[in-house]
Amino acid sequence: MDPTKTGPIALAEQRLRWTEARQRVLAQNISNADTPNYRPSDMQPFAKVLSGKLTEKQMVATNANHLQGTRQQDGRTLKERISASRDPSGNAVSLEREALRVADTDSAHATALSVRRRYMSMFMTALGRNQS
Amino acid sequence: MELDRAMRIAAAGMDTQSSRLRVVAENLANRDTTSEVAGGDPFRRKTVTFANRFDRALGANTVRVSRVGTTKGDFPMRHDPNHPAANAQGYVKTPNVNSTIETMDMREAQRSYSANLSVLEVSRGMLTRTIEAMR
Repeated sequence: MDPTKTGPIALAEQRLRWTEARQRVLAQNISNADTPNYRPSDMQPFAKVLSGKLTEKQMVATNANHLQGTRQQDGRTLKERISASRDPSGNAVSLEREALRVADTDSAHATALSVRRRYMSMFMTALGRNQS
Repeated sequence: MELDRAMRIAAAGMDTQSSRLRVVAENLANRDTTSEVAGGDPFRRKTVTFANRFDRALGANTVRVSRVGTTKGDFPMRHDPNHPAANAQGYVKTPNVNSTIETMDMREAQRSYSANLSVLEVSRGMLTRTIEAMR
């Protein structure tokens, strides 16, 4: 049994990937906090990603000459609906809200990492290599 | 890598905010710059516009300075017949720089800069933690 493919470790790794991607989206929002007409976006909630309802449609190669699709799995971001707090320039980024999300993502990342480390150390114990 | 991208996006944001600060500094430094010839135009206030561009090498949208323009509008006139730039009626055109507006702009640039800096720090922390998990 490969411990990294099933169970809590795989889940933690999925969560880690999600937080990293979210961090990128939030960085984009914050760096565009003064760009005219910019609308912030956010990741789809992790629960929704987990439920597997968001699988991207891939192109099918029915012929040996077909190329593989190069589309990235990046369609999981969600443009925010126009909120009431819009600048006169048309920008809808609220730095406070984004800061809160960054803090949220940071703690989610720390949690997922410690879950992963904890389970890994259990495997290490089972293997008799847990010295520290 | 996503975290690396996040850091680069934040760095691009800091870069644009510092160019904005540079324009503000230019405006404030020139708020008394009048023309050298009689009746000529003084320094015209500069503005900076941001745009969201797709960075192909990075594979993400980063913010860039799209244009440094100037503000239109009339110049405030001051009566000073002895000034070298005074026109026939004795009026001197002074720059259309409003120091209150510039100070406000400076504060906003500072705020956005520190927001980007925080993102950079948090992303770096996440990256460091991930690397430590390999030990």
